[in-house]
Amino acid sequence: MASHANTEHLAPGEIAKPNTGWIWKTFFVLVGITALEFAVTFIMDPSTLRNSILIILTIFKAFFIVAEFMHLKHETKGLIWTILIPMALLIWLLVALITEGSYIGEAVYNIFK
Amino acid sequence: MSTTSTTQTLSPSTSHEEPRSGTWDGGNEPFKASYGKLMMWFFLLSDAFTFAAFLTTYGLVRHRHLAYTGDHKDFVFSTAYWPIPDHVFNSFPGLHGMNLPLAFVALMTMILIFSSVTMVLAVEAGHRMDKADVQKWLLWTLLFGATFVSCQAWEWTHFIHGTDAGTKMLDGTTFFGANLHMNQYGPVLFADLFFFITGFHGTHVFSGLCLLAYCFIATTNGTFEKRGHYEMIEKVGLYWHFVDLVWVFVFTFFYLV
Repeated sequence: MASHANTEHLAPGEIAKPNTGWIWKTFFVLVGITALEFAVTFIMDPSTLRNSILIILTIFKAFFIVAEFMHLKHETKGLIWTILIPMALLIWLLVALITEGSYIGEAVYNIFK
Repeated sequence: MSTTSTTQTLSPSTSHEEPRSGTWDGGNEPFKASYGKLMMWFFLLSDAFTFAAFLTTYGLVRHRHLAYTGDHKDFVFSTAYWPIPDHVFNSFPGLHGMNLPLAFVALMTMILIFSSVTMVLAVEAGHRMDKADVQKWLLWTLLFGATFVSCQAWEWTHFIHGTDAGTKMLDGTTFFGANLHMNQYGPVLFADLFFFITGFHGTHVFSGLCLLAYCFIATTNGTFEKRGHYEMIEKVGLYWHFVDLVWVFVFTFFYLV
């Protein structure tokens, strides 16, 4: 794995050189996307399009944090899917919360009307 | 082979001399990740669902309230519609009375991303068994994490005390700041969700700081060096990056959208 320090061929007690290029690259990507998010927020007027752009940029950021910083990209396929597939349940959670929440909201609103 | 054994052994590797390496006695790692790391991943998965429920609730509640439809510049606080975030979060410590929309939260975001970088540098140093580097980067992470929590404390204080002018409420009185059943910025639930979502996230950051402090002390005492690996730093690192990840979403849904 590229992100792992090479600890072979070392004399006892010797410490390998740091390999940090990929960390700083990820950092600059994250900073860049954050700057872009700010630009979009201030340049565009609030709209569904603006919100969609912001959400897509957020998911990009999430990808870089999970894949690189949390190292998931370099784990086995089994582990990657074990984490990602349950995430699909979030869609169900979203639909359930919105449906039930809207119903309860409506009911409460009508009681106090 | 032992001939005096009265108990059935599952595999030869259960004897005391050999390490546990058989398929059925804990030697197998199907994901090539240790038990601890795997369990941290599963915990984070469940935590992701908690935060997702919070943010969905925010979206739902916001959708059920009226949106402000007038011009962005003429916005005033009212309990009649949902506030525009960059009119609520526009102050900066030491710059009283200036309109700096989202500047402070931008700084907080940068601090948290940077703490993630120093954390991953600590993990990298752990792979190289470089004790001094691990200590250095853990201290930086602690510093940035503590700065983030302090920033959040300032933001909460400002949010609770409110603006100079306050807002005229429906009963004719002027109200300053926010609590759980009244606030000057907008509907009651706006402040409630602010307290719950950023508060729950802040609690996570605080737990992370406690774990980091433990890691720093253990590293300094040489615990991990004696153990032969710095896996504890990796596990705490996973947690710390997750906290950063949650902030990325809170930042978008609470402050930008």
